[in-house]
Amino acid sequence: MAGGKKYYAAAVLAIWLIIVTFFMVLNRTLDLEVYFVLSLIGLLVVAVLVDGAFSRPRYMRYLGYVIAVGVALFAYIVVEKILEIIAA
Amino acid sequence: MRSSGGWKEKHEVMNMQRETWALLIILLIASAAAFAHATTTIEEYSRHNIGWNGTSNLGLEEIHDLSKIPTGATLLILAPEKPFTEEEVDCLRALLDGGGEIIIADKEGFVNPLLTALGSPLRVLPGNLSSLERDHADPRIFRARVTGNATLFAGIETLLVNHPAMIQGGVPLLETSLLAWDDTTGDGRPGGTESFKRRAICAREGNITALGDPSLFINAMLPENPELIKNLRGHPVLIDAVHSRTGTRNPIINTLTWIQATPLARAAIAVLAILPVAYLFGRKRE
Amino acid sequence: MRPRTSHIILVAATLVAILILAAHATTPILYTAENISTAAHADPATIKKRSPGDAASLIPLMDELLDQTGTLTLTIKLKDYESAERDLAHYTALSNRFDRLVITLDVSDTDIGEFQQMNRQNLDSLTTLLDDSRRLDDLKRLEIEVRGDDGRHTAVVYEGEALRQKMHQGFSTYAERVPAMSRIAENYEINTTTYQESTEHFAEAAEAADTWRKETGGKTPPSPLSINLTPTEGSYGDVIRISGTHLSSKVPVEIYVDSRLAKTTTPDDSGHYVCSYRIGKILAGLHLVYATAGPAYSDVRTFTALPGNTTLTLTLEEVSQATVACTGALMTGDRPVTGAPVVLRLDDTKLIEARTDENGTYTKKIALSAGDHTIRAEFHGAGFPLNPSESETETYHVSGDLPSPLPIIAGTAALLGTVWYLRRRHQREVTPEKARLETAQESPEGEEEKRELPAIDIRGLDPRDAATVLFHALRARLGIPATKTPRDCAEISPAHARFFERYEKIRYAGETPTDEELRWMEGEARGDEHAT
Repeated sequence: MAGGKKYYAAAVLAIWLIIVTFFMVLNRTLDLEVYFVLSLIGLLVVAVLVDGAFSRPRYMRYLGYVIAVGVALFAYIVVEKILEIIAA
Repeated sequence: MRSSGGWKEKHEVMNMQRETWALLIILLIASAAAFAHATTTIEEYSRHNIGWNGTSNLGLEEIHDLSKIPTGATLLILAPEKPFTEEEVDCLRALLDGGGEIIIADKEGFVNPLLTALGSPLRVLPGNLSSLERDHADPRIFRARVTGNATLFAGIETLLVNHPAMIQGGVPLLETSLLAWDDTTGDGRPGGTESFKRRAICAREGNITALGDPSLFINAMLPENPELIKNLRGHPVLIDAVHSRTGTRNPIINTLTWIQATPLARAAIAVLAILPVAYLFGRKRE
Repeated sequence: MRPRTSHIILVAATLVAILILAAHATTPILYTAENISTAAHADPATIKKRSPGDAASLIPLMDELLDQTGTLTLTIKLKDYESAERDLAHYTALSNRFDRLVITLDVSDTDIGEFQQMNRQNLDSLTTLLDDSRRLDDLKRLEIEVRGDDGRHTAVVYEGEALRQKMHQGFSTYAERVPAMSRIAENYEINTTTYQESTEHFAEAAEAADTWRKETGGKTPPSPLSINLTPTEGSYGDVIRISGTHLSSKVPVEIYVDSRLAKTTTPDDSGHYVCSYRIGKILAGLHLVYATAGPAYSDVRTFTALPGNTTLTLTLEEVSQATVACTGALMTGDRPVTGAPVVLRLDDTKLIEARTDENGTYTKKIALSAGDHTIRAEFHGAGFPLNPSESETETYHVSGDLPSPLPIIAGTAALLGTVWYLRRRHQREVTPEKARLETAQESPEGEEEKRELPAIDIRGLDPRDAATVLFHALRARLGIPATKTPRDCAEISPAHARFFERYEKIRYAGETPTDEELRWMEGEARGDEHAT
C-alpha cells in the first residue's frame, strides 16, 4: 500500500497526457504550448485531489516546486500570446 | 493491538489485480493501434486507406471479374494503372452494347489505349490545369461548371476539382472557366506560351464518360461535393476492382479480405479459434 | 540497490526529455497539417483558402471597355460633347481599374496584357478624337467669322488641313488595332459588334473634316511652314531630329507631338529651324508631329516609337530587424528608364509602388513581418514604348523578434507568487502545530494552572467532541506533534495506548463514549494518578 496514491496520481496523469496526445494527432497539429498548458492543468488537478489535509508527504513537497515552475512558464506563455494578439 | 496484517495482504492482492488490469488495458490499446496500422494503408485511392487520399468512405460495390458484369450496369474505372487485355476490352464492349455505361476517371493518361481500343474519340490529356478564378491558394484546385446533361451531375452546378486533367473530344460535361491555363512552366502564373482557354474536364461520347479527375472520389473531396456522392449512391455504380487503384499491395489486408470473402476460410478460422478453448476446458474437467 | 538504479534512470530520462523539449521551445508548433499534397492531388482542407478576388470581373470589364468605345465614338460623331466628356471620364476610370486588375492578377504576360496595351492606345486615340472634333467645330465657326480677313482665314484653313490629316491618321491607327482586339475579345466570348461599330463612327467623325474641306474650297495652298523628321522611327531614348523652314517670317515655331506642345524653337536668319525630340514617356506605335508658326500650320508627319526590351534588377539589403531596402535599376539596352513606375510584389499578393529616378534606379523600404518572404519587382511598361519585364524573385527571411521582457517578468512574478503562496500555506499548517507544541511545552511547567484552563472544559459538549478535546489535550501534554494520528500516539506512548486506541475507535469507527469512559479519559488527559 506504500505510496499507492502516488502511483495512482502518476497513472492518471499519464493517461491524461496520452488522451491529449491522441487528440492532437487526430487534429493533425502538434503544438508544444497547448500540450504544456493541458498537462499543467492535469498536474494541478491531480495535485489538488491527491493532497491530504492532514499530511504532507515528501512527493507533495517536491511537487510544489514543479508546480511553481509550471505556473511561471504558463504565465510566460499567456503574456506572450496576449502581446501577439495586441500586436496583430 | 489488533493485527492489521491480513488487511495488508488483501490490499497487496488487490494491487496485483489492479496492475494486471492496467497491463491488460495497455495491451488492449496497443493491439488496437497495431490492428489499425496493419489493416490500413497509405496508398493513393485505396479502399483501405482511411486518410485524406483514400477511398474508404466511398462505399461502392466492387466487381472482380469483368466477364461477370450484369448487363445494363454502370462501371466506374478509377485511376487505372494496369493495361486492359483483349478479353477485358471485349467484355467492356459487350457491356456497352448491352446498354451499360462506363465512367473512366483518370488523370495520368494510362487509360488512353483503352479508349482507342473501344473506338472512342475521347482522350485524357494530363497536365497542370490551373485556373485564375479559384477559392484556394493552390491554382490547381478550383470549381468547374457543369454544362450538358448527365445523370451523374444531375442537380449540380459546380464541382470542386483537384489537380484535374483535360479531356479531349466528345460532348463536354464539366468545363473550366475561360481563365484557365495549362501551367507547363509550373510557376503558378499564366504567361508566355500558356494561354487562357476554356477546357473540358469531363466529356461523354455515347455511353462512355471520361472524367479527368479521379480525385473527386477521395475522402478529403467527398464532403466538398456532397450532391455528386448522393447521385453516385442513388445510381448503382460498380467499381472495376481489377484495374482501379482501389486495391492494395499490402499482403495482410489482402489476406484478410480473402478470408472475409471465402466462407470456407472463415469457417476454418473459427474452428481454429475454438479448438484451443475447447481443449483447455476439456483438460480442466479432467 | 534496485531503487537507486531505477531512480537514476528516471532522473536521466527526465533530463533528456527536458533537454529535447527545450531545444524546441522557440518553435512550439512542431507540426501542422498545411499544404499537404501528393503527386496526384492535394488535401483541400489543408490548403489556405483565399478570397476569389476580382478574377470574375476581368472579362465583364473587358466587355464594358469595348462597349464604351462604341458609345463614346457615337456621342463624338453626334457632336454631343458634354456627354462625350462624361463618357470619356467613365472610360478612363474603367481603363485605370482594368490596368490595376491586370497587375493584381498578374496576367500581364498573356493576351489579356496585349488587350490592356491596345486599350490604352484606344483611350489615347479617342481622347485625341474628341479634342480634334471639338477643335474642328471651333474652326468651322471661326472660318465663317473670318471670311473677310484673308490672313486669319488662311491660318484657319491651314489648321483645318493639319487637323484633317491628324484625324485621318488617328483613324487609321485605331482601325489597325481592331482585328487584333476583336480576335482577343472573341477568345473570351465577348461581343464585339459595338466595338466594330465604333470604327464606323470614328470614320464618320474623321470624314467631317473632309466634308468641311470640300465646302471651303477643296484646295489648300501649300503651307509656308515645312517639317521633316529624321529618323521616322526610334526606341525609348532615341532622338528624332525635327527640322524645317518657314518661308515668310521669323516667328517662333512650336512643335506639337500628338497635339501636345513639345518644343518651341526660333528659326535662324534663313528661316530654317531645327530641334530634337527625345522619345520618352509615349506609347509605342505611330505618333503625329506638326509645327505651327503664328498662323501657319505645317503638314502632319508621323514617326513610330518602337517597343524596346527592358531589364529590371532587384537587390535586397537589410536596414533593420524587420525592414528591408529594395533597390534596382530599370534599363533598356544601355539606357536607363527614368520616372517609370515599378511594382514590387510581396508574397504574390501585396503590391507596393516605387518609381525610378533620373538614373533609372529605384529604392523602397518595406516593413516585413517575421518569417520568409518573396519579393519580385515588375515593370509593366504602362505609358512607355517598352515591353514589360520583371526581376528575379528574391527570398528574404526575417528572424523573429527578440523575446520582449514583459513575458519573462510575468513568468518570474508568477514563480515568486506561487513559491510565496506555497510557503504561506505550509507556514499556516506549521504555526497551529507550533502553537500546539508550545502549549504542550508550557503545560509541564504550569501543571497546576492547567486544571483551571478552560481548554479541558468538556461540560456541555457532545461526547465525541469531548473525546476529541481530551485527545488533543493529552497529546499536547505528552509533547507529541499534532501530525501524529491516534495510532501513532499509541505507539509513541504505550503507557496511554489504551486511551489512544479507545479514542481511535470513537473517532474513526463512530463509537460513542459512555459517561464513565469520558470521566476516565478526562482523568487520563489531566494526568491524574488515579486514572484507571
